[in-house]
Amino acid sequence: MPVGNQLLVGMSEIKVAKGPAIFTCLGLGSCIGLVAIDEQADVCGMIHIMLPEAFKDKPVDKPGKFADTGIPELLSQMEKLGASKSRMIMAYAGGAQVFKFGSDSSSRLDVGARNGDAVTKILKSLGARVLAYDIGGSSGRTVIVNAEDGEVKVRTVHSGEKTICSLKRSAKRLAA
Amino acid sequence: MSHTITIEQIVAKTTDLPTIPAAAIKVMRETQSSSSSAASVAKIIVTDQALSARVLRLANSAYYGLSRRIVDLPEAVVVLGMKSVKNLALVAGTYPWMQRPVTGYCLGPEEMWRHAFGTAVASQIIARVSGKASEDVAFTAGLLHDLGKVALSVWIENKMGAILLYAGREEISFDEAERRVLGYDHCQVGYHLATNWNLPEELCEAALHHHNPAQATVHHGIVDCVHVGDYICSAMGFGLGGDGMLYRFDETSLDRLGITTNQVDAVTDEFVEKFEEYETLFTEMAA
Repeated sequence: MPVGNQLLVGMSEIKVAKGPAIFTCLGLGSCIGLVAIDEQADVCGMIHIMLPEAFKDKPVDKPGKFADTGIPELLSQMEKLGASKSRMIMAYAGGAQVFKFGSDSSSRLDVGARNGDAVTKILKSLGARVLAYDIGGSSGRTVIVNAEDGEVKVRTVHSGEKTICSLKRSAKRLAA
Repeated sequence: MSHTITIEQIVAKTTDLPTIPAAAIKVMRETQSSSSSAASVAKIIVTDQALSARVLRLANSAYYGLSRRIVDLPEAVVVLGMKSVKNLALVAGTYPWMQRPVTGYCLGPEEMWRHAFGTAVASQIIARVSGKASEDVAFTAGLLHDLGKVALSVWIENKMGAILLYAGREEISFDEAERRVLGYDHCQVGYHLATNWNLPEELCEAALHHHNPAQATVHHGIVDCVHVGDYICSAMGFGLGGDGMLYRFDETSLDRLGITTNQVDAVTDEFVEKFEEYETLFTEMAA
């Protein structure tokens, strides 16, 4: 069993660590848990995003609450621990959505879909390397990452636990 | 699909049905009466020793920050306000069964409670923002909207997988699948219980139509608030069970409430803040 800090990443929170740590985003509905690892610097971070973008008419109390303020803040906090954006590899999960009739139906409200779109767009604009994502559907998820081996696991009520990727092994593969 | 048991049989045969203490229901009715006063509400509370102690404890809690100790019930009602007293009475009356696991819906300890209380808080905020329903009634309707799940839990325990498979195959929502597989859904079971308890009509209607708000006949405002409140609470992951978010969201609710998507995001933000603040306070008092 891996050892290290057990870090519970609550709503709107950003947590980062250098060295062994296990990060968990519990009970995600339409929220998104995003994890980034810089293997060389041995730095890992996770964010629990609630909403796609900050309110224009209200100061941002917690940057981690929104995709547009939270993702840059996560990267910045990891950089302070010695990580480099160019070496980071990421994965994310969550963004559950309400039931939809037919494949062409869309909802102007659906927070899960808007969160997923926002995260995808922001990561693309940052040129981030995303190894895996598990978003959408109607089930709640718990996302767990072990910074030691880089394994990102997603747990749902019905499907149990599955590993969606290993950020560290992939890092080696990409570098090779 | 064959239906093996009726709603009436469920209510008759379930040994562990949820109940609400008589004093809590009386307090709810009294606070909604135009002739109610702190004295008349206190007169009901005093008949329930546990509730009396909770009301005094809340009035003397750090949250209200009073410099002197309150020992008089009518004074405590004045300090808290009648709506808070009613909410406390209902929360304390429902917490004992809502905090238990609802295994039929794959909800662990406290999860049903978090969903019910969360929907209450979100519905109350939506009522305030939209101005289309009483905040106070929206809170109560949100708290009780899923009580049918508690009654149905034991009967659905070995059927959840089949209902989910059926919903996936037929591409229908979970409540629709419940109706087709069981012959009724948790909303109808909740309605049946609520009417048996003689709860006010708007609470019964919210329990019945919270997944299909356009079908509301009289109390559209309350039903719409609970529909959107239930969505927000689920989207934030509070008490998502096996049925997850496999429910339809009816956007006409937003139109009727006059709420925009941006406002829903702001309500969601406020909801998460309020939930944390209220949950600690109410759970401590209810436990």
